[in-house]
Amino acid sequence: MKRILVLIYATFLFGPVLDAQESTPAPPPMEPQAPERPGPWRSTSPAQAAVPVPVPIAPPKPNGPIQKSLVRITATSVEPDYKAPWNAGGLERGVGAGFVISGNRIMTNAHVVANSRYVTVERDGDPNKYPAKVQFIANDCDLAVITVPAPDFFKNMLPLQFGGIPTLESTVSAYGYPIGGERMSVTTGIVSRVDFQLYTHSSVDQHLAIQISAQINPGNSGGPVMQDAKVVGVAFQGYSGDVAQGVAYMIPTPVIKRFLQDIGNGHYDEYPDLAITYAKLQNPAQRRFLGLKDDDRGVVVSSVVAAGPSNGILYPGDVLLAIDGHPIASDANVELDGEHAQFEEVVERKFKGDSVKLDVLRNKQPTTVSIKLYKPWPYSVQGHSYDVRPRYVLYGGLLFQPLNLDMLEAYRTADLRVRHFFEYFVLDQLYVQHPDVIVLTNILPDPINTYLAPYRGGIVDEINGKKIRTLDELAKAFTDSQDRLVIRMIGDGPPLVLDRKQVEAARERIMTRYNVLKEQNLEEQPASKAAEQANKT
Amino acid sequence: MTTTRHALITFGLVLFTVGGALAKKESAVPAALSKQKQLALVRVNVTGQSYDYFRPWQKKAPFSKRALGAVLSKGRVLVTADLVANQNYVELERAESGEKTAATVEVIDYEANLALLQPAEKTFLDGITPLEIAPDTVVGDRLAAWQLEPTGALLATEGLVTTVQMMSYPIDVGQFLTYRISIPLQYRENSYTVPLVKKNKLAGLLLRYDSRSQLVDAIPAPVIMHFLKDAESQNYRGFPSAGFSFSPTRDPALREFAGEKGKNAGGVYVTTVEPGTPAMKAGLQVGDIVTAVANNEIDQNGNYVDPLYGKIEFTNLLTAHAYAGDIVPLRIQRSGNPMQLNVTLEHRDAKDYVSPPYNLDQPPRYYVLGGLIFQELSRQYLKEWGPNWQREAPQRLVYLDHFQSELFPDRNRRVVILSQVLPANSTIGYDELAYLTVTKVNGKEIKSLDDLAEAVKHPIEGFIKVETEEDPKQIELDAAQVGAEAQDLQENYGISALHRLN
Repeated sequence: MKRILVLIYATFLFGPVLDAQESTPAPPPMEPQAPERPGPWRSTSPAQAAVPVPVPIAPPKPNGPIQKSLVRITATSVEPDYKAPWNAGGLERGVGAGFVISGNRIMTNAHVVANSRYVTVERDGDPNKYPAKVQFIANDCDLAVITVPAPDFFKNMLPLQFGGIPTLESTVSAYGYPIGGERMSVTTGIVSRVDFQLYTHSSVDQHLAIQISAQINPGNSGGPVMQDAKVVGVAFQGYSGDVAQGVAYMIPTPVIKRFLQDIGNGHYDEYPDLAITYAKLQNPAQRRFLGLKDDDRGVVVSSVVAAGPSNGILYPGDVLLAIDGHPIASDANVELDGEHAQFEEVVERKFKGDSVKLDVLRNKQPTTVSIKLYKPWPYSVQGHSYDVRPRYVLYGGLLFQPLNLDMLEAYRTADLRVRHFFEYFVLDQLYVQHPDVIVLTNILPDPINTYLAPYRGGIVDEINGKKIRTLDELAKAFTDSQDRLVIRMIGDGPPLVLDRKQVEAARERIMTRYNVLKEQNLEEQPASKAAEQANKT
Repeated sequence: MTTTRHALITFGLVLFTVGGALAKKESAVPAALSKQKQLALVRVNVTGQSYDYFRPWQKKAPFSKRALGAVLSKGRVLVTADLVANQNYVELERAESGEKTAATVEVIDYEANLALLQPAEKTFLDGITPLEIAPDTVVGDRLAAWQLEPTGALLATEGLVTTVQMMSYPIDVGQFLTYRISIPLQYRENSYTVPLVKKNKLAGLLLRYDSRSQLVDAIPAPVIMHFLKDAESQNYRGFPSAGFSFSPTRDPALREFAGEKGKNAGGVYVTTVEPGTPAMKAGLQVGDIVTAVANNEIDQNGNYVDPLYGKIEFTNLLTAHAYAGDIVPLRIQRSGNPMQLNVTLEHRDAKDYVSPPYNLDQPPRYYVLGGLIFQELSRQYLKEWGPNWQREAPQRLVYLDHFQSELFPDRNRRVVILSQVLPANSTIGYDELAYLTVTKVNGKEIKSLDDLAEAVKHPIEGFIKVETEEDPKQIELDAAQVGAEAQDLQENYGISALHRLN
């Protein structure tokens, strides 16, 4: 059930601190479980409502001279405009933290540098701003590695070492550049909980995260959380003050180490996934029905994602008894290094192309399967995308876009059918028929489409009798069409009929009137040269 | 001690003053009595209980409503269906004397939101001159809303009819003629039914009131007259429908596609024809252009020219003007060829839907199986989530209800849901399951609770296997354990009966 667990409370990213110029408030959550981004914190705003209370500062020393490792990162980013996808998008500037690690690299959160066009780094006691480059970005686990080309930058910096998972109740210190001043800030707290959490940067991935009680605020993002002079986590997300207080999360070192190992081959391959849903097996009758012993072992497979690595290997009704030799308890836990963890943690530690061995009870017969892991693509539709240009086709003033989380949030659509297609895209295997769920999202008014407003929000099913499965097929249907285009939407309703000659005649007119620079973008190409390079390295 | 006494004294004083005021006003009544007798209004007091769809074996706490009824000829009292839906006891009260009698609901139409009451005592309405009906209200007319002061005196507020159009009524089945009136209504008691009167004749009945915009929507006289006429027959049939949906044909490209030649010709594009409905029986097809209904030409937006109202949607010809059983000619264009179809209208009952749009005055069906509660999806169930149920109810169920005719074209079925799980020994590990749609039980396909009740009688090797559309896809119960636990379950959770299937 890993993928369908929903975050009940609104969390927010300690996102980059935004400058005033682009301060459109974040759209309200589409769904109760949608993550909430913080409102912009204006570092220079004179109208700061909260008056800081002076607190006597006792300089922390136990973790050593952190100033020699900590950097302040300022990123200028371009947020794609899903409502006018031909435009570059809005400019935003944010501040986060980072720290030097081995190999002249700086580690930070992905959300600090995602969509960035220009990144600078500052360090304590140095008046210079150093231009930096994003080397690797892992949006699924909210980590990034950047570097500073200036030859002397790392000379006097101290790379930090990583520790393990800190014990519950032990004290940790978080370093960063949060609200309240310009210089480095330290807060301390204890380790409250170690558990799987939704990473809201992608808002579709769940990994291990450690909850700490240290005060963490916007600007702490990407900063190290230290214990005994070693990094035990990277501060990254928490709840806004009106939901819960003193609840902040850091990315623990197993996730960090996995990321660093993944990029060891010069490319980030993302987390692989079994792409199954399962149910715990705690009901005695169900256990007997499935032919299980009364030994508290096993979970039952509910569904298998057809686009995933388990397709054709695992089947609904299979009971998973062990993973790589670790017995799976009926509550889905395994014992790993003396700790209890959900059995997915075994998969979490693997890389694309690795295999996992499962002991299965199928129709009461034991069997063993091996699954070569990769990341199934359909999940990405339900998460945020970064550093890509939105895909779209504009034809006759009609804007067609594939359904994804960013598009849905931009339009704040309440349409029941569109939301159903989004919500059940993976679970109901809707991607098999509709790899792209193509929505007529907007209409740029023109005499040729003046009566077409009621079709807005519809999902394209077929054109001239041919099923349309992808945006490419849509674009091709438009170029290949004869005189007349008959577009059928899913569900009831009349077909949308376009006269090709009229569309051609209106083309220039519409592009000029609405300042449309490009009529279509079919490939999710990198949004900037910097991102392109990061992908190549 | 002292505070209590003080409070008691004050309370006594208040009572006294109120009593005094009442007595004083009472004395003023006889003078106006002869005029009061003219008022064809009675108070209607209703106590009711609605069924609790989250605990379908029980009813919710009683509610009481107090409103006004319009006295019509033959000793009938007209109220909204909303007022008397789920009633346990209805009482009529003479406005001027306070005299009371029990009443029965003779006919009720939830879709048109109208009901007829009859007093138990036949002489109860004696002396009241019944209201006649004014069928000819048009935009620009002034209507008076009749309310009653606590004394029984008339409180009349006048307003202007701003719009006459087809709208959805609260039950949201079909479209009905509606008057919209701009009127600053005053709050009196909890008046659910307020008659609207034109020159001392009944012009309409209040449907809803928005106090901010001061706009009243009213059930108009033509709908009331349709209801009354139908109510006079032995079996009330209900408002008819044809069973197709349509879309305007303003778009020239769509007109050309549908084979419509004339640029200014009217007609609407048929988008769906529901199976088993009069339209399908008459041979109407998706893509047809309906150009005339009951010999009234209709324009590209679906309006005809009504002699009274001017342009209004043609559905008015089917609801207000026609009755179930009537044959209505439709003129259509199919691929450019004119044709005529004769549609025999029928009323579509709530039970003829896959997910019934309403279920009032009737208990919900359910089946409890070892802590698993099974119910049939209905809009009444979804409405348990409150006025914002469309957003707040489980979205998958809202989706199934909303697109039911598209998702279940065969119609002849229900959607059985596992609505919740009561923790018990037999349901350990299942207690968080809810709102799942049931596909099979013990290998048998489930299209109603009756199917389910039958299927559970045939366990597979001692197990009852329930399969669901959503995860976890399958759960099993020990049939013997379910049976053994049934009594404990009933006692623990106060379940009066483990199932209700009729």
